[in-house]
This record gives sequence, structure tokens and C-alpha cells, in this order.
Amino acid sequence: MNQTEGSMAEVGTPSPAEGHDHSPVAGRPAAVSVAGVTKTFGSGASAVTALDDVSFEVPQGSFVSLLGPSGCGKSTMMRLIAGLQEPTGGTITVAGGTPDEQRRARDFGIVFQQPILFDWRTVEENVALPLQIMGKPKAERQERARELLDLVGLKDFRNHRPWQLSGGMQQRVAIARALTFAPPFLLMDEPFGALDMMTRERMQTELLSIWSRNPGTTVIFITHSISEAVLLSDRIVVMSARPGRVMKVIDVDLPRPRTDETRDTKEFVDIEAEIRQLIFSQEHR
Amino acid sequence: MSESRRDTLITAATVIAILAVWYLGAALVQAGDDPLAEAKLPFPHQVIDVIFSNTGELGEASWISLRQALIGFVIGSLVGIVFSLVMAQGEWVESAIVPFLLAGQMVPMIALVPIVQNIFQNDDVTRVFISAFITFFSVTVAVVRGLKSAPPSAYELMSSYNTGRLQRLRYLEIPAAVPMLFTGLRIAAPLSLVGSVLVDLAGAQSGLGYIMLAALTAGGPTGSMLIWGAMVILIVLGFLLAQAVVLSERIVAPWQVQMRAKGA
Repeated sequence: MNQTEGSMAEVGTPSPAEGHDHSPVAGRPAAVSVAGVTKTFGSGASAVTALDDVSFEVPQGSFVSLLGPSGCGKSTMMRLIAGLQEPTGGTITVAGGTPDEQRRARDFGIVFQQPILFDWRTVEENVALPLQIMGKPKAERQERARELLDLVGLKDFRNHRPWQLSGGMQQRVAIARALTFAPPFLLMDEPFGALDMMTRERMQTELLSIWSRNPGTTVIFITHSISEAVLLSDRIVVMSARPGRVMKVIDVDLPRPRTDETRDTKEFVDIEAEIRQLIFSQEHR
Repeated sequence: MSESRRDTLITAATVIAILAVWYLGAALVQAGDDPLAEAKLPFPHQVIDVIFSNTGELGEASWISLRQALIGFVIGSLVGIVFSLVMAQGEWVESAIVPFLLAGQMVPMIALVPIVQNIFQNDDVTRVFISAFITFFSVTVAVVRGLKSAPPSAYELMSSYNTGRLQRLRYLEIPAAVPMLFTGLRIAAPLSLVGSVLVDLAGAQSGLGYIMLAALTAGGPTGSMLIWGAMVILIVLGFLLAQAVVLSERIVAPWQVQMRAKGA
């Protein structure tokens, strides 16, 4: 395991001398650069600082998690990257442009905690929605939607309505929908947060297998679960709450593919324990 | 299936219970030696008897009231839908229109009808107008709420697809408003008929309300039974209208009905 301090200089310009040579992602160019970003909601006395001087980088094609307790502004951070909100200060660069430019270029597939499927559409029509909005012909939409439903293991449910599916299945439909238009970025805001523990662990390994079949996709994953972040990520941005700050950026170089067995390895448990201690030491300070 | 059968049984039981209360009430009223008792509250079978011996007259009058109510219902719904879509285009449009919607709803129909009659000088046009007026409010209020019923993350999702306002309306807001639209229509359908009959009562020369008024003037037990008969027809027609809306919802928006049946 390699660790880097949560400062721009070290994370942004890794060099073998600083101990990044074993990490596969640290040497790659940054797809997303977040530099000194602050976000304040409201103004005057009632102003709330959600993010305070947040900096980190997301390497091209990597899986990066933003990990922190609720209220640390990690969802806000995702919305800033997606161009859904504007930062109060600092800069965010996504694929060489601004978040808003990349949003307009439809660079982001987003999965929220709630699946946000439309009851008036079948499962297949839900998955095809982005393509329909983009004006793709019907035959192409159907073919692509079926391809993705096959990928998430739901091809037999394409004519069902969303409410006929379980929570885990609904979230798989949401993932399929986010991937239909092959966006370079997949942004996930606690996508498994509403699922039970067993479904959640199954979805995590499933997400890894889906991701491995969409090479080049950069994933930004919001979570408050340490083990989820360790299992999935190449890099974990550990955040503290109120105001949201970066405590540390940790690169996880556990070998891939990672499976359920990975959870039982010593390396996995060590990293998990280290992050937990880091978070608790901050809390009790 | 068993659930819908249970619903049918409950409805049937309610109808029987109401009839029982009616019989009991009529028996109590008629128990004394009031010679006008029969005219005050006749037995249900007497009312039904009157309906069947006046089918021609009552049928024609019902059709007049119903037809204008339906025309008004359709016009009011369409205007209401268009209005809601305009209002959904901006907070300021809504803020500008809402006070007038509230004011419009505060106008007592009984006061409005003579004014409208004087303006149009035509019973049919007045009926259509009043029915449309009543429908318009129920539908507008419901659809405006429906258009705003999608959660914030649904808007973020649309925004991530870089959708324009029209696409957002088409793919998100309008379909999301369909259940509320039908709720509004279900409330408005019987009310539009009441509006039409109100015009009859206010001096029109035909319709169910006219029969009620004429029977009231004629007086006596037969007249009273005719009023009750007209009211029973009105209730049945209103119920059928509401059911017709439910049925059309099943056809137009089957997802919604199935969801309700599932209790999800």
C-alpha cells in the first residue's frame, strides 16, 4: 500500500522518489483535478461551509472514492465535479475543461442513492432514456439498452416496470442507464447506501465486474463505508466533516480483479484498520 | 382479483346500509300523522317507482345536463392543462396566477351563474361555461402540483443529459404529472355535472335541475318523489363519471393503477 498526504503537490506530481512507483494509478494523467475548492451555502451569519480548501486528483481510468461521514460535503463535491453546482472558490478541471462544459458534452453518467427510475417507462425504456434524449434512433437505443441490461444481469426483466424489481435490481438498472451512452465518467453518490448489507456486498463485486468490462471509464464513488471504499478503489480521498476537508489521500494497490475473497486478505484488513484509526483519531482530537 | 372483489362487496354493503338508513328515516318521518310526511321523505322504492314511470322526461333532462357538463369538462380540462404548463415555466408566472386561481375558487357558483346567464343569454353556453370553470380549477391545481412532483435528483439526472426545458417537460415533468392529472379529473367530473345542474336550477328551461324546480313548484308527494328521483339520477351519473375517469386512467396510465393495486 502506498500513501500520499492530502496535499496537491504530492498527489498531483507523484514521482518514484516519493514512493509511488508501485502504484499503478498515481502515474497516470489526471482526468479530474480539484484545487483549493470551497463551497459555502447561504450567506451572512447563516452561511454553512460545506467544503473547505479541498484538493485531490482523479487519475484517468481509475476508481476513486470520496470517503467520509455524513455532512462532510462529499455529495456536494460530486455535484461540483458533475457541473450541477458551482464552487464558491477554487478550480475544478475535468478532462481539460470546466465541469459545466463537460456536463454539456454529456461526459457524466450519474447514479444516485435512490435509483430515480421512471414508473411510466419499462426497465428497457428507462435504460434507453439518455439515448432517446440524445436523439438516437429507436433500433440503436433498444440494442444498446439490451446490451447493458445483459451486462447487469437483468435481460429477462426488460419489459418489467421499475417498481416490480427489488432495490438491488433497481440500482442495477440505474447503473445500466448511466452507462448506456458510454460516458467517460461514472459518478456514483452512495449508490448502495439504501441496500441491505448482503445485497450491498454483492453489488460491490458486481460493480467491479461491470467496470472491468467498460475499460477507460473513470469512476468517482461517494461512500461512508470504509470497507466499500477499500474494496472498490484505486484511490481513497478521506474527508472530515464540518467543514468538509481532505484528511488524507490514500492509494490502494490491492491486486485486481478484486473479489469477495479480497475482503479476507490481510492487506485489505490492514488498510481498513488504518483508515478507521485515521478517522477516529481526528474525531477524538 | 380477490382485493377488487372485496372492494365491490364493501361498496355493495355501503349501498345496502344507506338504503336501510333511508328506509328507517322514511318510516320514522311517516310514522306520525303529518299529512305531508310522504312528500318530505318518501321510501326509496317510491322514488325508484317515480323514476321508472317518468323515464322519458328524466332521461331527456339528464342527457341535456350531462351533455353540456361533458363539453364543459373537456374544455375546462384542456384549458387547465395548458394553464398548468404555462405556470410551470417559472416561479414568477405561478406567483402571478395563483392569487387569481384562489380568487376564482372563492366565487360562489350560485352568484356567478346569473351573471354568466345574463352575459351569454343561452342556457347551453352557460352550462358549458360553468362546468368548464369548475373543472378548470380542480385540474389546474392538481396538474401544477403534479408537474412539480419529481424529486430534485430527477432534475439533476436530466441536467446531466444536458436537456433543455422542453425535453425536461416531455421526458420528466409531464409524465410525472399524469397521476395528479387523473386525481384532478376524478374530482372535477362529478362537480362539472353539479355545475350544469346548478344552471338548470337558476332558471334554465331544461335539464335535471329544471325538473327539480318544476316538481318543487308542483308540490305534493309526486313532486317530492320526482325531486328525490332527479337527485338519485344525479348521484348515479356523478359516480359513473368518476368511474369513467378511473377507467381511462387504467388505459392511459396503466403503471400508476398497477402500482396502487400493489399498494407500493
